[in-house]
Amino acid sequence: MAGKRAHIQEEPLNLVPIMNLVSILIPFLLMAAQFVTLAVIDSTLPAIGPPQEVETPPDKPPLMLSVAVTNEGFTVMGADAVLNPQGAPPSADAGPTVPCQERPCQTPQSYDYKALTDLLNQIKDEYPDDETVILVPESRIPYEVLVLLMDATREDVNKKDDKGKSRLLFPNVVIAGGAG
Amino acid sequence: MKKPRRGTVTDELNITSMMDMFTIILVFLLKSYSTEDISVAASGDLELPVSTTMVKPKLAVNVVVSKSSITVDGSAVMALTKKPDETGKEWIAVPDEEKKGQMITRLYDRLLEKAEQAKRIAEATASEEHAFKGEILMQCDKELPFSVIREVMYTAGQAQFSNFRFVVYSSTS
Repeated sequence: MAGKRAHIQEEPLNLVPIMNLVSILIPFLLMAAQFVTLAVIDSTLPAIGPPQEVETPPDKPPLMLSVAVTNEGFTVMGADAVLNPQGAPPSADAGPTVPCQERPCQTPQSYDYKALTDLLNQIKDEYPDDETVILVPESRIPYEVLVLLMDATREDVNKKDDKGKSRLLFPNVVIAGGAG
Repeated sequence: MKKPRRGTVTDELNITSMMDMFTIILVFLLKSYSTEDISVAASGDLELPVSTTMVKPKLAVNVVVSKSSITVDGSAVMALTKKPDETGKEWIAVPDEEKKGQMITRLYDRLLEKAEQAKRIAEATASEEHAFKGEILMQCDKELPFSVIREVMYTAGQAQFSNFRFVVYSSTS
């Protein structure tokens, strides 16, 4: 009677080998786990050398879009057709095109990236083939402003096409020597 | 077989609930598992900015500019100092004795060495994959003033590195 009972008794599953495996796997995966995703922003130096010959004269004068960064805000240059439709040349003391929310800018967040993106959207409408923007930052502009500026000039995340991709504005960034 | 007496019964350790926990941790860790070409040595001196870009990093010469030093491919090159401006505010700067004009001499020597090394590899392998493209990965602290970045970029440009890849934390993951 007693022997028969032992026969049908359920053996508990031996989990110890699985435990061993798991406790080895966990430290290994912990080491390889990545909790932040890295990405890169491509940029080039301004090309040095003679200007390249343009074979066919372009219909429009080429856009030399550049954005200067000061501690007052962003100054967009080189797109006068959009910025000054009346043709009046901008005066030197007009101040930045896209001023900071507070002047002078206190933090990287006080620059008005949204307004700059909106302005670049208009310029892109006028010059759909241009992809290059030249950044001219002042010496004391923090690197973070530069990265946020490159984000603002690269794409408009609020305008998505039907595939869910953001509208590309000026993805080729050239960082110029800078003023002062 | 004798029925064991009640007093001597030893319960086995119940590890089922621990297994449950481990299974959940295992799934989570497998999800965050990744093998990336580059890694960032996080420290208080180096905090990368956050960006919306989605371009994946590729292996290249790695220049780290933290708040206190410049490092090329893991070995330290030089230290940075702080200089006050006219209002008394302190800015991170490259020490004057390390510079020749805008060029940081010690960094230039190190980068030139790297460029020549890369070109030798390119010649020896003669494959498109290893061709010298002058690519450089820049990991810079977000508080660095542009003057330091400019000097590093200028130096790298002189040492034949002209394609800069700024490493940032991706905010869209």
